[in-house]
Amino acid sequence: MEEFPGDRPSIRVRSPGLMARSYSDTELLAVLLSREVRDGETSACGALSMIPAAALLLARAHHAPSAEVIILGSPAFFPFPTSRQFHYLAQRGDLDLFFVSGVQIDRRANYNLHQIGGERDRPQIRFPGGYGGGMIYYVARRSIIFRTEHTRRTFVEQVDFISAKGSTPPETLRLGAPSKVITPMATLRINRDTKLLDLESVHAPHTPWDVAANTGFELVAADGRPAESAPATPPPTEDELKLLRGSVRETMITTGTYADWAEAHLGGGRQD
Amino acid sequence: MFAMIQAGSMGVPYVPVIGLVGSNVLDNRDDMIIQPDPFDPSHSSVVARAYRPDVALLHGLKADRHGNVFLGRESDDVLLAEASRLVIVTVESIVDRLDDAEMMRALPSILVDTIVETTYGAHPAGCPGAYPADAGHMARYLEAARDDASFHDYLRETVIEVPNHDAYVESFVPAEWKNSLATAHRSESGRPA
Repeated sequence: MEEFPGDRPSIRVRSPGLMARSYSDTELLAVLLSREVRDGETSACGALSMIPAAALLLARAHHAPSAEVIILGSPAFFPFPTSRQFHYLAQRGDLDLFFVSGVQIDRRANYNLHQIGGERDRPQIRFPGGYGGGMIYYVARRSIIFRTEHTRRTFVEQVDFISAKGSTPPETLRLGAPSKVITPMATLRINRDTKLLDLESVHAPHTPWDVAANTGFELVAADGRPAESAPATPPPTEDELKLLRGSVRETMITTGTYADWAEAHLGGGRQD
Repeated sequence: MFAMIQAGSMGVPYVPVIGLVGSNVLDNRDDMIIQPDPFDPSHSSVVARAYRPDVALLHGLKADRHGNVFLGRESDDVLLAEASRLVIVTVESIVDRLDDAEMMRALPSILVDTIVETTYGAHPAGCPGAYPADAGHMARYLEAARDDASFHDYLRETVIEVPNHDAYVESFVPAEWKNSLATAHRSESGRPA
């Protein structure tokens, strides 16, 4: 949609969905994740989780000043001497929100961090595995799955390997469950009755058709209506972006919390 | 796995774990099964067998001559030392005594079988309190690990054909590190530089 210098601006008919965004996918995700953090609760993110780390700090700066945030690997925001204290806090039921990602996610909110393709014993690709996810997904009161890409290879009908299960029978000891999946294209939500992922909202400039085309399973909107009726996600506000690019970026740099990433990806550096 | 080692460190035969039910991790494993809570049979969870390794190999900052080991920071390595039958700890240096602060956080000698002075023993990984991971070497390792042939070449060069630890340090530890660590060592023991 670039204009050539010197050209007179042409008149374009734009639908609201096609208006140019002033924020990157990364910033969009950080803002949407931050909205899930509630004041007074304890929220955490795991290893290699730059976007959720930014989201946690943004939530504190924006609407949740009393939020307890736990960022694995951050000297300033990890309150424990080793990781076992964090795992046991979660297992005691004191972790309200956890952000997790997976290589594959299926319509039942099972995720896969172990392997893809081939045979069970000889997969085509092997990943690091679930780490503590096989436990935290079952004990965090709410888990939010985030993904930086929304594609058919990510959102599959059924994962190749279940690292952690979205829902389990009532007799299984479980303290919490996944609630939403958030990508640069859309927010999906677990339907409490069907236990399947529904389409809650779509982020501009994408449309429900974009989402359907990039999801490997059928989607309906949150209230059972067709996917096309899913509303648009409220976009990042000026306030949220200003805080993210300002004090949050600053804090991440000065506290050594994914400092290089924050410098490059939050407003000041390149867009992606 | 962590809970299984914790159970091993406690000396109990098994440990309940919340999670993993319905995951493929449980397939083909006979050391994790689903059992009802004996006090509340309406709920079930995974129960994992305790794990007691035969040998634990740990690396720490320093040890005194009795085998009390200062790992450098609080670490879950203590659980590994407790759960394992034979504990071998390599340390950056062996000293006459640890100071009071270090003793309070030390792995007690009663849990340690053997200590070995191995400066730069963690390389190419880092040793907190002494040196960071060697990013350049790690990148090389990752590249070599892409296929069997290149990895074997890497192993041959860095492990199999290296005669002893001194030769390894000579060949692979960055020169700048060796100068600064030598200075730190000398000032610790009080001997003149």
